Amino acid sequence: MTETILQDEALGESYQVFDHPSGLRILVLHKPNYKSSYALFATKYGSIDTKIQQSDGTFRTIPEGTAHFLEHKLFESEDLDAFARFAATGASANAFTSFDMTGYLFSCADRFSENLEILLDFVQSPYFTPETVRKEQGIIGQEIRMYKDSADWQVAFNLLRALYHRHPVRIDIAGTEQTIAEISADLLYDCYRNFYNLNNMVLAVAGKATAQEVLAVADKVLKPAAGKAAVREFIPEPKAPFQKKIVEHMPVQVPSFAFGYKETIDTPERTDKEVACTDIILQSIAGRSAPLYKQLLDEGLINNGFGAQFFYGFGYADCEFSGESRDPEGTVARIREAVRETKKNGISAESFERARRRLYGRLVMEFNEVEDLASNLVDAHLHGGTLFDRIQVVRSLTIEDVHARLAHILDDECTALSIILPMDGKDL
Amino acid sequence: MAAPLLKTVADGVQLCAVQTEQFKTCKLSLSMALPLSGDIAARAILPYLMRRACRKYPDFTSLNGRLDTLYGAVLGASVTKKGEAQMLHLSLSAVDDRFSLNGESVAEEAAELLLDLLFDPKLRDGTFCPEDVETEKRLLLERMRSEDDDKRVYARRRCEEVMCADEAFGRNRYGTAEQIESLTPQRIFAAWREVLETATIRAVLVSSGTADAVEKKLSARFGGIVRKPAPIHTQFIEKAGALKTERETQPLQQGTLVLGFRCGMQDKRDMDPAMTVMCDMFGGGTYSKLFTVVREQMSLCYYCGARLNRDKGVLFVAAGIETQNEEKAREAILAQLRDMQAGRFDRELFETSRRSLCDTIRSYTDSPDVLCSWYGIQIFDGAAKSTAVRIEEIQNTKFEDIQRAAQCITLDTVFMLAGMGEESDD
Repeated sequence: MTETILQDEALGESYQVFDHPSGLRILVLHKPNYKSSYALFATKYGSIDTKIQQSDGTFRTIPEGTAHFLEHKLFESEDLDAFARFAATGASANAFTSFDMTGYLFSCADRFSENLEILLDFVQSPYFTPETVRKEQGIIGQEIRMYKDSADWQVAFNLLRALYHRHPVRIDIAGTEQTIAEISADLLYDCYRNFYNLNNMVLAVAGKATAQEVLAVADKVLKPAAGKAAVREFIPEPKAPFQKKIVEHMPVQVPSFAFGYKETIDTPERTDKEVACTDIILQSIAGRSAPLYKQLLDEGLINNGFGAQFFYGFGYADCEFSGESRDPEGTVARIREAVRETKKNGISAESFERARRRLYGRLVMEFNEVEDLASNLVDAHLHGGTLFDRIQVVRSLTIEDVHARLAHILDDECTALSIILPMDGKDL
Repeated sequence: MAAPLLKTVADGVQLCAVQTEQFKTCKLSLSMALPLSGDIAARAILPYLMRRACRKYPDFTSLNGRLDTLYGAVLGASVTKKGEAQMLHLSLSAVDDRFSLNGESVAEEAAELLLDLLFDPKLRDGTFCPEDVETEKRLLLERMRSEDDDKRVYARRRCEEVMCADEAFGRNRYGTAEQIESLTPQRIFAAWREVLETATIRAVLVSSGTADAVEKKLSARFGGIVRKPAPIHTQFIEKAGALKTERETQPLQQGTLVLGFRCGMQDKRDMDPAMTVMCDMFGGGTYSKLFTVVREQMSLCYYCGARLNRDKGVLFVAAGIETQNEEKAREAILAQLRDMQAGRFDRELFETSRRSLCDTIRSYTDSPDVLCSWYGIQIFDGAAKSTAVRIEEIQNTKFEDIQRAAQCITLDTVFMLAGMGEESDD
């Protein structure tokens, strides 16, 4: 088994990386003065993985929402379900499905080894029957409806549906009531075999637990896995958005909007430098210390929910400005103007340094909590990097780096707008 | 982690300091409590007005620029309700001096800034600026409406309102929309003085350094203020009267059912922690009756949980359901409660709940935010109880006390936010 130690001296943090003989990559960040531990066992399988490779090498399409459905079902087993097993140890367990991964996790203060054994065991023991699949369709059906009533959720997904032509980031993570009705126990087994082999997974542990404790359990429970990391297909998106605007009416009092600039990309993943530069650019344009923020507040166009973010993953990238506004179109016109101006005049040295310090500080803060640490470890390694890459990039970032990035993003021709209006709000 | 230091810096003002090198940050939080009566709206707007500017950084842009320069220091402002007290919160979290890029001190600067916001606001002609007040009035109104746009929050709030219509607890922590609309700079200025002079205040500091500097700063700031803390009393109604029901319909995909219960408690310490453990067994974790039966066995909902409010002696159960399942869900929830009252639960569930509650509390010391809120919520206790003591209390709960606690629970109010969305396809 190979072992690597990675560290960042200035931060006073280090962690170990093991390539376990089973095929699983294991990451352990030991915090000697912490009382709790957090473990995250993740597979590179999210809602954007809508195809599985068959034995003859061809791809087969699977229903939307399958990754999320599988996540719910893995908690069940033939005898005692995972929640019941964790109940016996006192740990808090949960799971989530995002666009590009599914994660199973627990946090605990006591009985770490026992909990880790349960986690590794239940994720490796699929058990699906037609009855249990049917039962879950009811629960997930309610989850889907809950999100349909959430304006925050709808405004964000409508933007993705407007920006992207075919990338599966535009579909709902949980699927729809129609698509999940197509899911069968057999299909879940197929997906499980394809995505849940250890070569496609990562285990991260942060907190009180030591590498020794983690490896002792891993050696006991993990069996060498057949198969290899699942392959994702990079399908370039057209430059222009699919749709310029989507307006939806919901029973809300305050209208909301999400406005996005689609980025033209010729490689599927964004580098840490691109991410850091984009963060600094968006802060300079729409952060709370940017003049635009105060102007929009003073003019009554936004409230404190306004913000900008870089949204990216395998095969998609866009800069999003979102918030609540009595006049979404007017607000967006102002944002466009500020973006054009920044692209024309660049970012001032002061503004760059402020945003860089802010970003550095926020990254340092992410080393406080075991949950953030485990998530960031998994995230970094699933994308072929390390936990310290981003902060190291920020330390040496220059304004030239940021200006080079600025020239490439925020194309005025590649935008889309999503708006949620009250039921009686007139269409714009 | 060493035991926290607890000091009284002025009448009704305590500083609770936890010194630890465990974290990369330092955090100072201020909680200020007043009775949930009087000019609620004028006080509610204060934390937000203070987050906007102060004398030294007189506009939104300069204040936020300062926060960026302090390595993205996170400034929090909020208003909550604790029993029948209105709580105003301000906090600032910044990277610890050890991690600044140029070796400069951040912690002390951050503490100074937070105190400036509270004690040295931006004033004009002896009062708050009308423009700032008008903007913050709009923002507070939008915040209220926006919170109501979250249907779970809305349904829960409506249930509280209906249930406690004749109690202070039934009031909105921000005041009413009309009260907010009528606010003037003068009323807000009076509310600011009221807070400085009469609020019960707790500052919590979690940092790697000693508390000396913050203690001195706090003492100096309160030095010129004549303090007269206002007494805060919460009414506990032990038993529900005739059942209140209220129903509302909106064009929603999913209905939200909220049941409000009285817990039979005389004060917040009554039946503690048996009531906490009982509620957790009933509807807390994934092992609880509501989760295992109403969600897992009956597939009625995605979420169904119970939350105890010890500061008021009330309990709320909320579930997101298919509107047509209202009766079935309500009956299923009440059946679980009847089981608890009749003692139809085993010792294993009791042990599981205690174990899980203790494990969670044991982890509290690994988060500066959780530590600040843990010591902050003890504002009225005049003490700083450690998590270890709380764990011991929970471990000492007796099995026999659970059924007795459950028997004190009575159903007071049922609120249903019904959907009239598209029909389901299944």
